[in-house]
Amino acid sequence: MIKKLRYRFKSSDTIGFWMVLPYVIYFFLFIGFPLVFSFILIFHRWNIVTPMQWIGLRNFYRLFHDVQFFLSLKNTLIFLLINIPLQIALALLLAVLLNQRIRLRGFFRAVFFLPVIVSGVVITILWQQLYAYETGLLNLLLMKIGITKIPWLNDPDWAMPSIAIMATWKNVGLYIVLFLVGLQGIPRYLYEAAEIDGAKPVQQFFHITLPALNNTMVLVVVLSTIGGFSLFIEPFVMTGGGPMNSTLSAMLYIYNQAFYFGHMGYAATLGFFFAFIVLLVVLIQRKVVERKD
Amino acid sequence: MITWRFYFEMMQHQQRFIYLSLLVVSLLFSCKPKSSVQNQAKPKIVHLTYWCASNQNEINLAQKLVEKWNRDHPKIQVTLQPIPASQSSEEVLLAAIAGKTTPDICSNMWPGAMDDFISSGGLVQLDQFPDFYEYMRQRLPNDLLETFRAPDGHYYQIPWKTNPVMMMYNKRMFRQCGVLHPPRTYSEYLQAARLVTKDRDGDGHIDQWMGYRDIRPVWWQRFFDYYCFYIAASGGKTLLNGSEIIFDNEASVRVFRFFQELYLNGFYPKTTFQGDNFLAGNLATQFCGPWNVIHVEKFKKPDFEYDIAPIPVPDDYQGPTYTYGDHKNISIFSTTRYPQAAWEFAKYLITPQSDLKLLEICSQIPLRKNLTGDPLFQDYFCKNPMLEKFAEQALFTRGVDGSSVLKEIFDGISQEYEACAVYGKRTPEEAVKNATNRAQVIMEWNQP
Repeated sequence: MIKKLRYRFKSSDTIGFWMVLPYVIYFFLFIGFPLVFSFILIFHRWNIVTPMQWIGLRNFYRLFHDVQFFLSLKNTLIFLLINIPLQIALALLLAVLLNQRIRLRGFFRAVFFLPVIVSGVVITILWQQLYAYETGLLNLLLMKIGITKIPWLNDPDWAMPSIAIMATWKNVGLYIVLFLVGLQGIPRYLYEAAEIDGAKPVQQFFHITLPALNNTMVLVVVLSTIGGFSLFIEPFVMTGGGPMNSTLSAMLYIYNQAFYFGHMGYAATLGFFFAFIVLLVVLIQRKVVERKD
Repeated sequence: MITWRFYFEMMQHQQRFIYLSLLVVSLLFSCKPKSSVQNQAKPKIVHLTYWCASNQNEINLAQKLVEKWNRDHPKIQVTLQPIPASQSSEEVLLAAIAGKTTPDICSNMWPGAMDDFISSGGLVQLDQFPDFYEYMRQRLPNDLLETFRAPDGHYYQIPWKTNPVMMMYNKRMFRQCGVLHPPRTYSEYLQAARLVTKDRDGDGHIDQWMGYRDIRPVWWQRFFDYYCFYIAASGGKTLLNGSEIIFDNEASVRVFRFFQELYLNGFYPKTTFQGDNFLAGNLATQFCGPWNVIHVEKFKKPDFEYDIAPIPVPDDYQGPTYTYGDHKNISIFSTTRYPQAAWEFAKYLITPQSDLKLLEICSQIPLRKNLTGDPLFQDYFCKNPMLEKFAEQALFTRGVDGSSVLKEIFDGISQEYEACAVYGKRTPEEAVKNATNRAQVIMEWNQP
């Protein structure tokens, strides 16, 4: 029995070992070690230069009394509430349209995907120009049609929705592709049968397309939630978290704690806590979306 | 034929030769290390590295001072290097401490970062030098000197220069609007603002304001609005007293209320300007340090008239008007091999002659008693009357508290300033309370 269980190394195993070694090294250097080191940091105060100071659970005490962190969580949730439904609705609509036999279909698919591959910083700077209160193109167009200017990034009530619109525009291409894959996997005969039964296109959409896209929907919801939680570049470049902290996302706050104020231990604590929240939200979301199915 | 006697004599010669050779070699070897030890203990030329601020004026000043020092002190030679470029000199210095690549001496030490420098063991304790107090008491009044003492009771910085923040105002605009003298109190300032703020070209938009402040919640921007006004209103208090928070007081509330009124009434614009609107004649006042005098003198139009006045204070305030002084000091780093030589060089940097050069080249104010009464400086101040006003203010300045969390406390104040003063979404009382609560949490977390 023992002889049977004993694994015998073959020459092909050695090759396999060498093949996976680069990833193992990468994992330990860039994931394993930082993870363990961050966990150690949770119990310390450290600004990189001065020696680490053991402070027990004081980072957690601060976390639960940190009004700004909870404000940044609230802002992130507001962003998600605007961004996820908008992104999914728009991506689905465009995917359904691009799934039809229309002229220049390939061109449109490429155009919608283009913002996904362009640098986030470049897009953010471009949109900053579009949103400019006095000279921005959007406000100039609004004024041409007789609507008063909107303080897109200067008003605490407008700033986060403005960022959510921009993020939707940037990421929608990726979700269009995912929905297109899902749409192309739906058998044609389902639609033909529905047509024979007299179902109209809207009924076909709600009773065939949507249920058949459920798996894709779960994937899109999870991906866009995780993407939304990591909101950073847009507020960092466009608003710095303002006005009145209305665009201060959790990731931006953690970044500021680490690299602006030099509180590495506290930032690590926030990071772990935030990761736990993301995990919790994604698990709940999966349960909810899957249950609907 | 070689006889035994000859052989014996030869051996004797050889032995003598060997003994003699050994003696010479041992003498040589014994002398060489001894001489190198002597060289280490008493080097003929000591080399020091000196880092100055990286702006051109201060580089020019440092070059002049170092050239003279090197001429006069052939045995202590100083090499000048401007602080390497980065977002802030504090970051560079902290990185240098971590990498043990600090210079021997640096003259761009910001008191707000001293806590980090000291706790990382990067600085030499200066009160160990027997003549430290003698020099400092000649230079500064005791109460001001005390503000530079570290929490451990020692001194790690030599107070060198200050840039008091004062009110610069457009004399001609005030005169044209019926403001007869520069406002001294909040009421006077608001009254002047009502007269000054207007739409000059009648297009329905205000284009002349009482003042302008950067409305972004960037922590150091508060030095030029909340903080200098708070120091003035509180009679010279700072934010902290050791680990105790002391800005939750009436002075803070009044400052927030004052700025809230300015924004609420449109006396200050809620926008970001490009260019210098004070010089363009669109602003009546601005709050700045003496460095701005050079800029204004260089770029002003021929008919532009301006003057300097202290920061306005609450109506019932009595006593001298204090303000924020952006102090920059001198420190010696613990990596130096020659602390005594570095101390000698530091003393040279604060001689009256060096201070005069600081005024002449940089238009920055040395932190020195009786500056305006000293005959050495009188000629300079006769030629530069604007800077004399800053010099008179210099001893009534307060810097920042040396705390490693000061930046974050200022950030909290900035957030509340934005919410209360700029957007009017919080009352001044709420703003002060929120900023204090946040500071309290940070201070508790930062306790040793």
